[in-house]
Amino acid sequence: MDPLLYVLDLIVFIGIFGIVSLSLNLEFGFAGLANFGKVAFFLIGAYTYALLSQAGIPFYLCLIASALISAIFGLVISLPALRLRADYLAIAILAFGEILRLIVKSEDWLAGGDWGVTVARAISITGASHRVDALINIGLVYFCLLIFFVIIQLLANSPYGRAMRAIREDELAAEVMGKDRTKFKAQALMLGSAMAGVAGGLYAQYLHCVLPGMFMPMITFTVWIMVLLGGPGNNWGVLLGATLVEVFERGTNIAKDYIDLPVDPSNLQYILFGALIIFVLLYRPQGILKESKIRSKAQRLAFNGRRSAKNKGS
Amino acid sequence: MAVNWAQVIFNSAVTGSLYLIGAVGLTLTYGLSKFPNFAHAELITLGAFISYLVSEQLGLGLLPSLLVAFLVTGVVGILCCRGIFQPLARRGSSIIHLMVASIALGFILRHGIGAIWTWKPLYFTGIGSAFDFGPLRITHLWLWLIFAALALSLAMHLFLMNTKIGKAIRASSSNPELAQASGINVDRVIWVTWFIGAGLAAIAGVFRGADTQIWPMTGWDIILPIFAVAILGGIGNFYGAIAAAFIIGLAENIGVVGLMALGLSTTYRVGIAFLILIVTLIVKPEGLAMLFRRA
Repeated sequence: MDPLLYVLDLIVFIGIFGIVSLSLNLEFGFAGLANFGKVAFFLIGAYTYALLSQAGIPFYLCLIASALISAIFGLVISLPALRLRADYLAIAILAFGEILRLIVKSEDWLAGGDWGVTVARAISITGASHRVDALINIGLVYFCLLIFFVIIQLLANSPYGRAMRAIREDELAAEVMGKDRTKFKAQALMLGSAMAGVAGGLYAQYLHCVLPGMFMPMITFTVWIMVLLGGPGNNWGVLLGATLVEVFERGTNIAKDYIDLPVDPSNLQYILFGALIIFVLLYRPQGILKESKIRSKAQRLAFNGRRSAKNKGS
Repeated sequence: MAVNWAQVIFNSAVTGSLYLIGAVGLTLTYGLSKFPNFAHAELITLGAFISYLVSEQLGLGLLPSLLVAFLVTGVVGILCCRGIFQPLARRGSSIIHLMVASIALGFILRHGIGAIWTWKPLYFTGIGSAFDFGPLRITHLWLWLIFAALALSLAMHLFLMNTKIGKAIRASSSNPELAQASGINVDRVIWVTWFIGAGLAAIAGVFRGADTQIWPMTGWDIILPIFAVAILGGIGNFYGAIAAAFIIGLAENIGVVGLMALGLSTTYRVGIAFLILIVTLIVKPEGLAMLFRRA
């Protein structure tokens, strides 16, 4: 395979999973929600995109619809689920994802059932080579990634983000301070689901198809590795995590062709992922990059004010 | 379409028995270690494969293989607990971290099994064919399964109520600090529970594998109803689990009849357990536990 195309393909994947891991970072890193069904919202986004683009709707509207419908599902799920304890929430959302996959698998009329349907590329230029195609996708994916990154970054440093972190640390104390934990968590889940939905739409159009087999619980878990490895609560960290995990995944796939291993590399890859995550949880639970400090205008003012006061005194 | 209700009831007993054996370990370790062990699915799978190794590849027969599977998987359960979950808990990991670690462990076990035995489905031989008994269609395996569930219920009841370690398990589950203060070695209690729980998961895996097929997803295929049993029964509550297993078995089998009548795919039978799971979590997260206060 064309090596340059391979690198471009890798960059697209890093972008798509970067968006998903940012969304999990919002839910888990900032709001402390154990979303074990990330793949469900990824699936909703992908299938929404697939079905709408078949109807001939332009791609940007399809992506917006993916975001909206995923967000609606996120909200609907959150209404009953957020009153649950962390472990119950995890089980409920995990089960939700499994059932959703079951539905798209058994309902042939919806989107081809087990065989899936093909999805048209968002932007296709007639006669463009694969490389140009990949470059266009990189532009599209990283445009979305940039928007979401800025939103989450601003959110994390805003009073809203601080309230979210406070709820993560101590629900009761935050509630006493007048922060409605259910509202904050529901909004985190809604925004996170919308982001995962867009990523799902991008994924579907990039791969040209949607299949139930593309949305195994493995996806959720891979995203969890990205977040936990990179550093929950740190947006740069989770992007780093997404990059490392994708490069590692590709690396083992390439190694398969050159090194003769006694173990099937696709099995080995997941064994290593599992071992890695247990290792990270045991020895570096804060991830590679620690949770980012809060930077706010008030802090900056306070800091500058103190310095100028010092200067006056001397 | 005439429905053979006797068969539906019998099938419910078979399904319920399988879920009960599978769920006892989950509910006991969940109650004691205070987190849901998602790798329980892979302990089920591991049991099925060890039994396959002993009975088919070494040719020693199904019954000895059950014993070996119970012991080996039980030891794996203890190792997982001591090697991963207890160190994590000691380092102050949150419940979310413990759950992620259990999923990670599940990946290691599942793909380890996949690496050793490949992902091709395998079948037990010499299970015996089905025969008719009145209106019922039965296999010997199903009768053994029901017998195993009954024997398990009785044995666990005697174990939890009358033996010292059984009482210690109940005490540690309801109040670990007080149990520790009363001179119970809580760590040892936890290991014994993980051993028994993992061993029983293996037994469930053997029955499931012998009844259908074995592949690295054997356990994951039935993990949803098993979680539903543990939660409907009340976490850590053995008697609740017995009732819940048969309620869910019945609901699934009646549900299949309903699905066929509605012309829907019967793969949705998993959805029935899911529905019960969600409704229980929302309406009454403590499950049926209030019916069995003493336990």
